[in-house]
Amino acid sequence: MTAPSTTPGSPAVATEASIQVRNLNYFFGKGDLRKQVLYDISLDLHPGQIVIMTGPSGSGKTTLLTLIGALRSATDGSLRVLGQELVGMGSRQLVELRRNIGFIFQAHNLFESLTAAQNVEMAVELTGNFRGKRQQAVDILSQLGLAERANYKPAALSGGQKQRVAIARALVNQPQLILADEPTAALDKQSGRDVVTLMQHLANEKGCTILMVTHDNRILDVADRIINLVDGRLESDESPQQFVDSHTPQSLDQKMFIM
Amino acid sequence: MRRTPLALLNLVHDRKKFLTSMAGVAFAVLLMFLFTGFKNALYDSQTQLLGRLNGDIVIINRLKENMFVPRAFARRRLYQAQAFDGVEGAYAIYLSDARWKNPDTRKTRPVRVIAYNPSDPVLPMPEVLALQQELRLPNTAMIDERSRAEVGPRETGVVTELADREIRIVGTFSLGTDFASGNGNLIMSDQNFLRFFANRGPEEEERSFATADIGLLELAPGAEVDRLVNALRDGLPQDVLVLPMNGPEGFIARERTYWEENTNIGFVFSLLTTMGFVVGIILVYQILYTDVADHWSEYATLKAIGYDNAYLFGVVIQEAIILSVLGFIPGLLISALFYNLGAAVTGLLFQLTLQRVANIYIMTFIMCLISGAIAVRKVQRTDPAEVFGL
Repeated sequence: MTAPSTTPGSPAVATEASIQVRNLNYFFGKGDLRKQVLYDISLDLHPGQIVIMTGPSGSGKTTLLTLIGALRSATDGSLRVLGQELVGMGSRQLVELRRNIGFIFQAHNLFESLTAAQNVEMAVELTGNFRGKRQQAVDILSQLGLAERANYKPAALSGGQKQRVAIARALVNQPQLILADEPTAALDKQSGRDVVTLMQHLANEKGCTILMVTHDNRILDVADRIINLVDGRLESDESPQQFVDSHTPQSLDQKMFIM
Repeated sequence: MRRTPLALLNLVHDRKKFLTSMAGVAFAVLLMFLFTGFKNALYDSQTQLLGRLNGDIVIINRLKENMFVPRAFARRRLYQAQAFDGVEGAYAIYLSDARWKNPDTRKTRPVRVIAYNPSDPVLPMPEVLALQQELRLPNTAMIDERSRAEVGPRETGVVTELADREIRIVGTFSLGTDFASGNGNLIMSDQNFLRFFANRGPEEEERSFATADIGLLELAPGAEVDRLVNALRDGLPQDVLVLPMNGPEGFIARERTYWEENTNIGFVFSLLTTMGFVVGIILVYQILYTDVADHWSEYATLKAIGYDNAYLFGVVIQEAIILSVLGFIPGLLISALFYNLGAAVTGLLFQLTLQRVANIYIMTFIMCLISGAIAVRKVQRTDPAEVFGL
């Protein structure tokens, strides 16, 4: 297990971490039913990094993602996101903070009643920019190759196009942090590749931090780091190459023999 | 550029569902309109004859508690009243129930006869004024064209029997029925009234010009009604009651109050109206709840990206308000149709006043607001963390 402080693939310049997790524990339920799902997580993510989080289902990946995304309140340990301590934060402040994070979900979650542009504008309105919202929405959709589809409703868009609209909604306010949950799961190979290329571009150009939960082996190569969560514990934190090496069938077989 | 009108777009997105929702609200509106309509029609109808009488002050027998009570007063009280300063005219109205034979079915039905001297401006309706001469002929009358269908054809030229005596209809007028009118109304001259009711046999009350049922006083221009009412109350014997025609203490208000306070009409129809209201709450709640449930993940996404509960509350409440407006309009139009139909069938007075329309809209608005407030709890409970596929 690699120490969290030594972060492979991180930029040489030591910038302030976008996400700083220290000794984070998290529990579901109360009383006798209380069950710990995250154990003593410590982690630093830096601007410009693309980090892929993997792990078997039930390992706590999604829980960690929702904690970092200020969608749940953490109570134990320390969790700093974009310079703010989330532990002990009120729900109103959590809502405030979420506006600075871009969320991409497995399902596109677009309003069927709104056009692609209007769906994106819903995110722009959070910034109070009503005058320029249309322009901003059309700009980001154009960058994603959807300029001609701006006035289409989701029902008239393909699965890949819908996901790109959802990504446009996450990116339109140029957030410093993007959290994505299986963003390519519903997409074919080419659309999935386009999406991750775009993310790579964002990380490099704008210094965005991207944390992505995925099981999609086709896109592992875009990651600067791959962290592996097992049973609520940080199992490994390594570069893609290390990850591939340690997960080849031979090495797995060896481990199985030892056990 | 404005905020995206999410509530409106969500509501109208699915046309079929939107029309069903509108129909649901319209139905609740219709129920409320119908039940309040029946209630008001029953009350309003009781005073529709009184409202047409031409007079500022009314004299009746002290025991005539409502129009249903057949108590007459001495007609000389009218002559006495005429002596008061400011009284320009005093007119006697004679009322009686009589059996009317339907000329087609030969069945008899009770109707109300309203009689007065055709020279007196008692009922200044143009169709009545035009037939003063015809009414003076023996055994003639005018029939209310809004009498119930049971009386047979309501038209000029009908010859049939009233109180076992031949009568000829010389014209029609439009009034409408009430509790005291039986199946309809006839207008005849005071002379004909004597012909029919002066000598009806041992079982029946004999009528003469010595007594009248309602006395109308017309005042000289500039005379004060209240002052004169007080003077008449002081000056006339206590067997009669002197009332102003209009105003909260007036003859018309008194009749209405009697029916409001001494019958179950109000309770029954208010209960039914309340049920329409509750049905509306349930319908609108279903509509809004379905919308929230269908768009659950989208609303949760909005919450995840930084919209607060107040915004989502606003969306649901806006949907409720839009529904209340868009459902109210068809509801009102259909209700207006039903009001006309009801008036035609029953002869009751169905009035759709601005005040009543406003009242029902306010009820519709509150109805939608309550539904919205219940439905919105579902959105507020939405946990944005659950949008991430677990």
